[in-house]
Order: sequence, then C-alpha cells, then structure tokens
Amino acid sequence: MTATAPRVTPQTATAIAVHQLRKQYGPLAALKGIDFTVQPGEIFGLIGPDGAGKTTTFQILAGVMEATAGEVTVLGKAPRHARLDLGYVTQKFSLYPDLSIEENMRYAAGLRRVSATAFGERARTLLQRVSLDQFRDRLAGQLSGGMKQKLALCCALVAQPQILLLDEPTTGVDPVSRREFWDLLAAVAADGVTVVAATPYLDEAERCHRIALIYAGEIQQIGTLGELRDSLGLRRMEVRATPLAQAEAALRRFHAEGSLPGGEGTGADLPAPQAERGGMRDPAIVDVQTFGDRLDVMVTEAAAGERAIRAALADPALTLTDVRLDEPTLENVFVNRLRQRGLDPAYVDFPAYRSGKEKGGTAIHTRQLQKTFGDFQAVKGVDITVRYGEIYGLLGANGAGKTTTIKMLCGLLPASGGDIQLAGATDNLNRSEVRSRIGYMSQKFTLYDDLTIRQNLEFYCGVYGVPPQLRREKIDWVLETCGLVGRENLITGSLPGGWKQRVSFGASVMHEPDILFLDEPTSGVDPLARRQFWRLIRDFARRGTAILVTTHYLEEAENCNAMAFMVAGAIVAQGSPSDIKTSQPGQLIELRSRQIQAASDLLKARLEPWRVSIFGDRLHLVLDHPDEELATVRHWLDSAQIDQPSTRPIPFSLEDAFIGIVQRAEAS
Amino acid sequence: MSLLRALTQSRLWALILKEIRQILRNRQIIFLLLFPPTIQLLVFGLALNPAVNHLSLGVTDYSRSPDSREFVASLVANDVFEIASFQPSVAELGQEVRTGQISTGLVIPPDFAENLAMGKPVDVQVLIDGVDANTAGIASGYIQQTINRYGQSLRDLPALPVDIAVRFLYNPGLLSSWFFVPGVIGVVLTLTGSLVSSTTVIREKDVGTLEQLLMTPAMGWEILAAKIAPLFVVLMGDVLLASALGRFVFGLPFRGNYFLFLALSGVYIFVCIGIGILLATISRTQQQVVLTSFFFNVPLIQLSGAIAPIESMPPFFRVLSFFDPLRHYVTIARSLILKGTSFAVLWPEVLTLLVFAALFLGVSIRLFRAQLA
Repeated sequence: MTATAPRVTPQTATAIAVHQLRKQYGPLAALKGIDFTVQPGEIFGLIGPDGAGKTTTFQILAGVMEATAGEVTVLGKAPRHARLDLGYVTQKFSLYPDLSIEENMRYAAGLRRVSATAFGERARTLLQRVSLDQFRDRLAGQLSGGMKQKLALCCALVAQPQILLLDEPTTGVDPVSRREFWDLLAAVAADGVTVVAATPYLDEAERCHRIALIYAGEIQQIGTLGELRDSLGLRRMEVRATPLAQAEAALRRFHAEGSLPGGEGTGADLPAPQAERGGMRDPAIVDVQTFGDRLDVMVTEAAAGERAIRAALADPALTLTDVRLDEPTLENVFVNRLRQRGLDPAYVDFPAYRSGKEKGGTAIHTRQLQKTFGDFQAVKGVDITVRYGEIYGLLGANGAGKTTTIKMLCGLLPASGGDIQLAGATDNLNRSEVRSRIGYMSQKFTLYDDLTIRQNLEFYCGVYGVPPQLRREKIDWVLETCGLVGRENLITGSLPGGWKQRVSFGASVMHEPDILFLDEPTSGVDPLARRQFWRLIRDFARRGTAILVTTHYLEEAENCNAMAFMVAGAIVAQGSPSDIKTSQPGQLIELRSRQIQAASDLLKARLEPWRVSIFGDRLHLVLDHPDEELATVRHWLDSAQIDQPSTRPIPFSLEDAFIGIVQRAEAS
Repeated sequence: MSLLRALTQSRLWALILKEIRQILRNRQIIFLLLFPPTIQLLVFGLALNPAVNHLSLGVTDYSRSPDSREFVASLVANDVFEIASFQPSVAELGQEVRTGQISTGLVIPPDFAENLAMGKPVDVQVLIDGVDANTAGIASGYIQQTINRYGQSLRDLPALPVDIAVRFLYNPGLLSSWFFVPGVIGVVLTLTGSLVSSTTVIREKDVGTLEQLLMTPAMGWEILAAKIAPLFVVLMGDVLLASALGRFVFGLPFRGNYFLFLALSGVYIFVCIGIGILLATISRTQQQVVLTSFFFNVPLIQLSGAIAPIESMPPFFRVLSFFDPLRHYVTIARSLILKGTSFAVLWPEVLTLLVFAALFLGVSIRLFRAQLA
C-alpha cells in the first residue's frame, strides 16, 4: 500500500454500531445499555461529566476491554479483530520518551506494517501539518504536553487507520495547540477517517458533526450541535455588566422557580437576601451561567428575556454595558441539562478555623527570576507580585515555563538567578514552617493511587498537622464537595481523572494555607465541577489566601485579579484581565458560516495565522481595518465557493488575547 | 497515654500509617519478602559444596603387577577418585584428559614393581586437567598425600616424630552448609533490604507523589524514618524466616545468644535500608535503581566472604573488604551462630555497622530534598 493508493473505506456501511452496551465493574454499573452508530468520515463527540462512562466506552470500542453485555461492531467486526484499522489516543501519553519524534513514528508504523516508502511520505506530511517537522530529532520526553499529544495523534495516523478513537487527548493542552490538533482531525475526517472523540473542552466538541451527551452510564441525547441547541428550546442572551458578580446575583434572584438547584457562580458568593426571593421572579429567565467576563442568561423568548434582564439589572450600582441575543452554546446545553438533573456539585462552606492573612500584604514576590537547564533557558527574568487575597493567573502555552516558575517559588527547584520572597521569607524557602503555610497542587495527580480516598485525606490532614479534632470535619467537607460521600473507601486509582483532581484540591487546602499554588487544577474536570472549583478558589481568596494558578481554560482566567502571559520563559504581557483585553491590537470580528473549517483553512493561508482561529462553530478574525479588509475576506471566501458568512464585531475574550499574544510572540 | 495520643496525631505517625497501608496493599513487596529469601537460602545451602569427590581417574598401567594394582586401589580407597577407564597407552590417556572425559590421568611405568622391590625411587606420572584450578589443586594434593603414605607403609618406617592430630572446632562434621548458610543470611538481607527499600522510595518519584510530599511540612528525616519503620519490621520478619530455615533445614547450632543475633541483624537491616534509600535518592527511575543496585550488590557479596573466603583474596581486595558492611555482618552471624561468641568480642564489627548505617541514612536525608532538581 502506498500513500497515494485509494483508501479501502466501506463508504456506505456503518463504521461503528453499538447496541445495548453494558459494562459492570463489580457492583458498579458503568454503562447501562447505550446505543449509537457512527458513519464513515464522521466526527462523533462524546461529552459528559467525570465518571459518566466515556473512558469505558472507548476501551470497549478499542477492543482492550470486554463488554458485560450488548453488541459492538467496528467496521463490521468485533472490536478485537478490527484493531489493525484502529488508532487509539488517550490522555496518557503512549510515547517512548527516549526515542525521537521520528523514531516514535517509525515504531508505530512498524507495528502496523507500514512500508518504508509509504512511511517517509506520510511522516513528512503529518509532521508538517502539526508543525512538528523542524523537531524530528528531538526526544519525545523533551516535548511539551501539546507537542506530545500532536505526536501521539501522528503516531496513530501514520498507519492510516479507518477509525480514530480519541479519549480526551487535548486535556491540559494549550488553546493554540488544541486548535492545531482539531484542524488536523478535521482534515483526516474529510479524507474519510471516522473519529470518535471525548473532550472536556466544549468549544472543541462543537466542531464534531454529531455529539452524544452521556451521564451516569446512559446516553441522554444525540444530535448535531443545532439539534441539541433546539432541544433546549431556549435563547441565550449574552450580558455584559459590571460588577459581574453583583449582576449575576441580581439575575439569579429573578430566575424562574425550580430550574436552578443549588446555585453556582460568582453571584452566589454574595449572601443572597432570602427575603427577596419571593415576589420578584420572572419566568422568562431560566438559567444564569457565568462564562468568562460575561453572563449567559438562558431565556424562554428574546424580547421578554431582554425586558426581564433589564428589569433585574435596574440597580444604580450596576452598569449594563451590553445585551445581545445569540444561539446557545454546547456548554449552555451541557450545564443546563446537568442542572436539570440535579447534578450540580454540592456547594458546602469550607470549615475555616484560622483567621487568614490581612489582604493586600505581599505573599509572593520575585525579581528577575531565572532558571537554566544546561544551555536551555527555561525561565528568563520573571517579575511577579501576588498579594494576600489575590488570585494571580500564570498563562501560557505548554512548555512556556509556568510549571518551572511555580516549582522555583515552592522551593522544589533551586533558582539559577534572581530573588524570591515567599510568605515573608527570602531565603531557605523550603523550611518546614514556610511549607506548612503553603498549599500545593501539582499538575500530575498528587494522591496515592493505592490508598483509599479517605486514607489519602487522613494522610494529608496528618502530614499538614490539621488539629485532630477538626480532621473529621475537613475530610467530610472534601467528600461532600466532591460528591463522594459513601464512596470514601474506594481505591483512589479507580477514580476518573477529573474526580481525582477535585479530591487533590481538597487535600491541598484542608490545612487552610496562606498561599496556594494550583498548577492546572481544573484540567480534565467537567464544566459544572469547574465552576464549583472556581467558586471555592474565590472563597479562599476572599479569606485572604494568595493564589497562584495556571490554567488552559481561558474563560476561567477571568476569575483572576491579575495575570501574566508567558512565552518561551519570559513574561510578554501582564495586568488585569481587562487591561490585557483592551491592549489587543485591531478589531475582533466573529464570522459565521456553515463551512467553518474550509473558511479557516483558506484564511489561515492568506492572513497571518494568529489572526484566524476557530471558536466552536464560529471563526474569530482579528483585522486592523475591518471596514476595508472584510470586503477582501468576503471576496476570497466567495471565489473559493464558501457561502457568504455573517459577521459582527465582538469584544476580545481572554482566549482571543491568548492566541494573539502567544502566536505573535512566537513569530517574532 | 497522652504521649501515645500525641504520637498518633503527629506528622510522623501520619507518614508511617501511610507507608504501612501501602505495604499491606502491595502484594509485590510481600512476595519479595517471602520467596526470594527462601529460595536463595535453600539453593546456596544445599547446592554450594566446595568439597571435591568422585573425580574421574584414568589409568595406564605399564607395570601390570600386584604392586601397581595395590597402588591404584589405595588411590580410590575413599571416594575422592573413581576409576573411569584403563587405557593401553599414554597417548590415549592424554587424549581422554584433553577431551574432558577424565579429569586426572595416572601413568605407572613398566619398572614400577621392580624398582619398588629394589627399594629404588619410583616415578609415576600424573596428568591433571587444570581448567578448574581449584579441583586440580585438590586432586594434586590428594595424590601427593596418598603417594607419601603409600611410600611410608612400604618402608615400614616408624610414625613421624611429630604427628598432627587435627580437631575441628565449631563445625566438627565440617559441614560446608554450616559455613555458607550464615553468610547467605547476610546476602539475603542485603538483596531484599536494599531492593524493597529502594522501590518504596522510587515509586513516589515515578508516580509524581514525591513532589507533593516534599511540599508538605514533613522534614526529610521524617519522610525517611516513616519509610524505614515498617520496612524494618518486615525485614526483621525475614531474619526470623532465615534463621528458622537455618535451624530446622540446615540444623545450624545457634550457639550464641539468639536475641543478640536478632539485635545485631537489626543493626545490619538499617545498613541495607540505607543502601536502598541512598540508591533510590540518587536515581531518577525504577529501571536505573535496579541497574545500580546490581552494580553495588554483586561486589558487596563477592567481597564479603559470604561465599569465597577472604583469606584467599589478593591483599588489595582483602583491605577493600573492610569497607564492605556485609563482611562485618557475616563475621557477626558466623560467630554467633557457630561459635557462640559474646558481644565483648564483636563490638568492633557492630560499631562499623553502626557507622555505615549512619553514613548511608545521613547522606540520604541530606540529598533527599534536593533530589528533584
């Protein structure tokens, strides 16, 4: 078989058929009879909260696990027999760290008997597509997370599989690399490869042809993005108002009865005046969700909704800057469906006993912080100041030096140069007294997999010296917050990744630290749990904890009081979220078209790549002079027979800023 | 009581409890603690036997006389030699030695009987396969000895003025297993102790929990003490296992105070754990620690005298062996098990072991915090 030979894809037959699939782990039913089919060349998304049964489904489809009951056919065969035509990429890297990029690919190709000539051709095209071709000789162990995942995808694709199974492959990958990853997926699907993908990033999932919403081992809904939106029967109003937290609280007091169990988000941080809840409800407002710097208000009908919103925000203390109507996003669908099910994680006040630090004092301060590994400068002269009561975000692509910076601040790595001041100490930062005031959650799971959840929590209580009479209460708090009450004797290793993250967070804050380091705390965590996470983080900040956090969910980063963008070890932009957004050059244009992938590929070739990026089912375009340039863009699209897009100017989000800043800095 | 409560609420206790729970859940460690020591003790004790017997002897007897037959019979009287073949000529005998069919060839000249009768000196030729130098030496010595005695008996000489009456102390039956088993107990403790302790440390590094552990207020010594405490208990179980095998399978006498033996074995266990933890601290991965422990353990065992006698080593290695902790433990074990020596005699060895334990553990604690850099 050569690279140019026609693919032997059975174009008409169903690629994957699943009927009444069940999986039982002892007493636990992971899958309770699911049905779905995937057509050749389709990108099929599987989304759901942690522990919904996604990974189990993938393992059965890949033929590495047997189903308890039900029928599964892959390319008309049992999954085990279809393995040669399958590519399977998981969250964990399946690469050999001491082989180079090329050697890893050659190995993957050799396993599937790809001929040497075909290999050379395919390897070159694939690596070019994900811009890894200039690093062919670099060892896989030295690649950043995003590069590793792109390489893992290339390794799966080099054998030209007919089916690609992707189990949250982009978890912990930065927004720029994630887009490159999905651009490649779109291209291979166009060639006829069938893709089944799970992802916790719902904007990515919008790029799937069809999406299945799965929870508690059952598929709740399957459809195209449009069908899922319509099923919601709601309109989305994008509301921009300041201060956002109070605006959300005001809207929440107005929402229709019963649709918001629990309650979540910025607004609920404020003491909700219970007395007011009575008479002021408006049935037009169904749900309020914080999303970055805006509120997504789900309303039954546009005009009535807008009236209700304006009425709710008619407080002189609030400034309503913008209300606009739009279609619901997949994340709106997801959050709304799960809330209807009462799956919003419980919010329980943290049992705090220490009086925190006074806000405003310096908690972390660095001056010209540097780190070199051999002749590689990982961190170049970083200046950061974090005060007590402040949430500080450290943002950047994979491999930009964020984790190295955090490790130096924690005293895990000695700095090569510069000064650090941590909790008042300037030298000997890893003294036991300093450490006892610090909470640290590293990127890797920090729990002992071979202990039970309770044993892990008992261990961290004990080792951080939580007073014995408080331990039970703190452990119960973690279990309740994570929804694990009654399951505390499970072996930690058996928990899904997102859930482990939540328990790790609990374990790192039980001792009420003054300074909290969180290295990608929400990576792989589902959207509802992520909102709860941030609510807890804000709680800690309000009590005076200084928090340094990294994340690849840029809309979450709106929660930060200040932030720094790192590129290649240096800080390239610093400030509050609004400072960062207003300092972006040009005007952002949102472009909607049914051929979004084709439009993106075309415009990326014509414009500087950082100006074009896909957001869900839309395209964001940064133009310096939109009035003249938009006409040119329309002309290009027209001559490529792409349907005429609708466009509108929108404000920069942090994610737009991130993509622009990172790509411009890398280009220069 | 309040002291006990203070202990169970301390940081150290939280660390120890975690280690105990992990060990209890880890079947691999329990397997490592039970099977390899048993197998090693049985194999070394039963199979390793330096005594030489049943050597194959080829004879070319040109004399063909009653005297020559009597001489051959005296050689095979005890089981050191066994006649494998008679060959008509030296050439064929030589061929058999070359091809390895026999290890020793004996040539009796045609004038053997005549010369004996005339009281003249007699030459017999002995061909020995020297590939196995040890066996060759023993064969040569034995033949020499037999010839001397044979000569003496012929001349009816009175017994030599000085007669050596050798009495073997401590191991009267000269059982080689009595010599080996106490040494092998030391070998087993070294291998198991260093392996088990290095895996519990390196696992944290492999999984990534070490980073989190280093960020807790726990001190380096607390983390290591918590790892050592449960390992010490289970490795003492190995000492009991090994000494039970020694007593009941090999019939070792255990002449010294058994509790002293346990206590001093405990000291050695600290040394072994120290080796394991030090190796794990300086290694980055599980694979690396396994390889480096091979690199250390093999010379450690060879130099200790557990298997080959130190006295027969070249001077340089004899000196080097003083820096081998296992050597000192083997001395202690042999003295206590076979001789019943008292502590008053053994204290220099004990002191040396204590210095080793303090050195290994001290260096590990110092390096422990810096190991991620």
